[in-house]
Amino acid sequence: MEEGGIKLGEIELEIPPNVSFTTTSAIHDFIKDSPMQKLVNWGRKNSLWFMTHPMGCCGIEQICVGVAHYDTDRFGIIPRASPRQADVMMISGYVTKKYLPALKRVWDQMVEPKWILMMGECAISGGPWWESYSTVINMDEIFPVDIYIPGCPPRPEALLEGFIELQKKIVAQKDRTVIPNPADGEV
Amino acid sequence: MGDEQAAIQVIDKTIMIELSDKFPDVVSDVDVPSPNRAIARIDPSKVHEIMQFLLDKGFDHLSCISGVDYPPDKMEVVYHVTSYSGPLVITLKASVPRDDPNIDSLCDIYWNANWYERETYELYGIKFNDCPYLKVLLLVEEMEGEWPLRKDYAGYPNPT
Amino acid sequence: MTHEATQITSPPKPSEMLLHLGPQHPLQPGPFLLDLKIEGETIREAELKIGYIHKGMEKVFEDRTYIQILPLTDRICYLASNSNNDVYCRGMEELLGIEPTDRAKYLRVLTNELCRIQSHLLGIGEYTTDVGFLTMFIYMVRERESVVSLLEAITGSRLNHNYARFGGVAQDLPPGYKEMALKSLGKLKELIKSHDDMMSSDSIYLKRTKGVGTLTAKEAGELGVAGPPLRAAGVNYDLRRLEPYLVYDELDFNVITQTDGDVFSRVKVRLLEILESIYIIEQCLDQMPSGPYKQDVTPYITRPEPGEVYSRIEDPRGEMGMYIISDGSDKPYRFRIRGPAFATAQALPPLLIGTYVADVAAIAASMDSCTSEVDR
Ligand code: SF4
Repeated sequence: MEEGGIKLGEIELEIPPNVSFTTTSAIHDFIKDSPMQKLVNWGRKNSLWFMTHPMGCCGIEQICVGVAHYDTDRFGIIPRASPRQADVMMISGYVTKKYLPALKRVWDQMVEPKWILMMGECAISGGPWWESYSTVINMDEIFPVDIYIPGCPPRPEALLEGFIELQKKIVAQKDRTVIPNPADGEV
Repeated sequence: MGDEQAAIQVIDKTIMIELSDKFPDVVSDVDVPSPNRAIARIDPSKVHEIMQFLLDKGFDHLSCISGVDYPPDKMEVVYHVTSYSGPLVITLKASVPRDDPNIDSLCDIYWNANWYERETYELYGIKFNDCPYLKVLLLVEEMEGEWPLRKDYAGYPNPT
Repeated sequence: MTHEATQITSPPKPSEMLLHLGPQHPLQPGPFLLDLKIEGETIREAELKIGYIHKGMEKVFEDRTYIQILPLTDRICYLASNSNNDVYCRGMEELLGIEPTDRAKYLRVLTNELCRIQSHLLGIGEYTTDVGFLTMFIYMVRERESVVSLLEAITGSRLNHNYARFGGVAQDLPPGYKEMALKSLGKLKELIKSHDDMMSSDSIYLKRTKGVGTLTAKEAGELGVAGPPLRAAGVNYDLRRLEPYLVYDELDFNVITQTDGDVFSRVKVRLLEILESIYIIEQCLDQMPSGPYKQDVTPYITRPEPGEVYSRIEDPRGEMGMYIISDGSDKPYRFRIRGPAFATAQALPPLLIGTYVADVAAIAASMDSCTSEVDR
């Protein structure tokens, strides 16, 4: 319980009477250690909505994989246009100095739990443009990446395989997603 | 189509001669390497008049403006001008000094010169006088002044 | 047309507001930032900010040998990778003084046209999602898969084909290709016709697109655009006809034009061009001479004579040019890429002035500019 008010970013909120806030995450901690977490993970793994966010050549394969023919809907993987509705972000192409701030912001806009997939050589290591003056490499130092899908561009099958690996990781609870803990003070 | 093509060909053959007749001291090294290509060197101070002349002659499409760096002392601005009704591409090269590269802007003749000029400016540092909006287009703003496509640019390969 | 049309000149007045579209947006493949100053629903000023995936290609190319550049030209615009390979190879052939074999010329035309079909299909598909016609997007991507399979059978990859070589192509047609292609393309032709019917008879779609974002022939010429947006305005400008390269002068085809220059005609041009490309491919398959598909010796270590060349091609999006300056070494001295999408993207802000916010997506997507190529 905090004195006086609760801080939401910049804004200070008055706590209304008869309302109490908790900063411990009892429910979260309870679920985490119980078999319930398995159920939660099962649900998460089967609804991996990804953000259509084509950035380079790999982005075309990303578009193709979401519809008709390859139809990721079979695995509960649906393309969404908005970061707010998505669970998975794919970095599908060249990240440049100009785009990196925007990309970080898009990543911050996504709600947890969220995962990140590296699609293609460009995202993983810079690809053909690794030594260029305007690209940024070593993206894994910036984002918590779960799956790397090599290829230039990877085939849609490889992308599907990447998603399936991610699902396995989620079930095994080995993924790197950040689940916010209210005890850390972040709301 | 046949007649049209023939008419265009006639224009093609004469335009370079007309150009060098009209601007005798300004246009030099005229070369016609293939039927659809012509190359000439021009004086950078007269680029505006030459382009206006070409536009009046029907060369209504500016394909491209590029910079080329020849260290240590000169840079070139290369214009590719062509027409919507004929296959001839005229390549015009203007040399500018490398320590103070500047040339007149073509924005008031060809509308689409604007982005090409901005691009050449940010990559080579060539200033286009009277260009209405000369600032970086492709690079991050902090990189203005690094001129990455010059041959002596130190940031390539990227050290990271 | 004024230069003010490309930028936002003043901060918004109290009755106006600034709207940022992007850089992450679902409009097109690739990020860009479109700043709109709007008053109510009307756009007063627009500014397009690009460079979010600027890779410094021209600098990278100056540091690669000629043969290493070949696969990288795919990545300039991945939807037009065959055209890019071809224009680069033709430029290099001119510098090296070699000619592709006859069969290779036909093979290149074949792959260029297949590439045009798949690019147009994806372009129309994305555009239809933006106007809220999701069904068509799914159809288009489905149809595209069949064309991609045809390309994959020849080149071995789905995207970034890297097919043309100096003086030839990478490999010959697989056995039984002609029958497979004719069957698949015949089906595609029927489907495209029915999609065309569906699009031009849907009254909501027509209301959404007719008379929106009109670009007249004169304006288009002033703005310097080429390709489908220009042909939709009625200008008969097609480099395949104007400057016939490869074997286009031996083939029979029409240059598709429309008269209105609005969103509807731009998409219609693309749809009809697909049919025209299918016709070209059928002729290619019929007329293709037998013989070697590449030179006996492919020059792998290439040191062209000092010189320069500007070669261009009718890309799915317009005029693609490459200006290569050689200084006699094994790397180009200067490699300039003149992309068609750069010109198209530049023409977008003036087109948006005075239209409604709801139409931005339709207009932007109907120009079909590929951000990767705009930024290079
Ligand atoms: S990895 Fe290759 S295919 Fe993918 S975006 Fe990079 S260059 Fe394009």
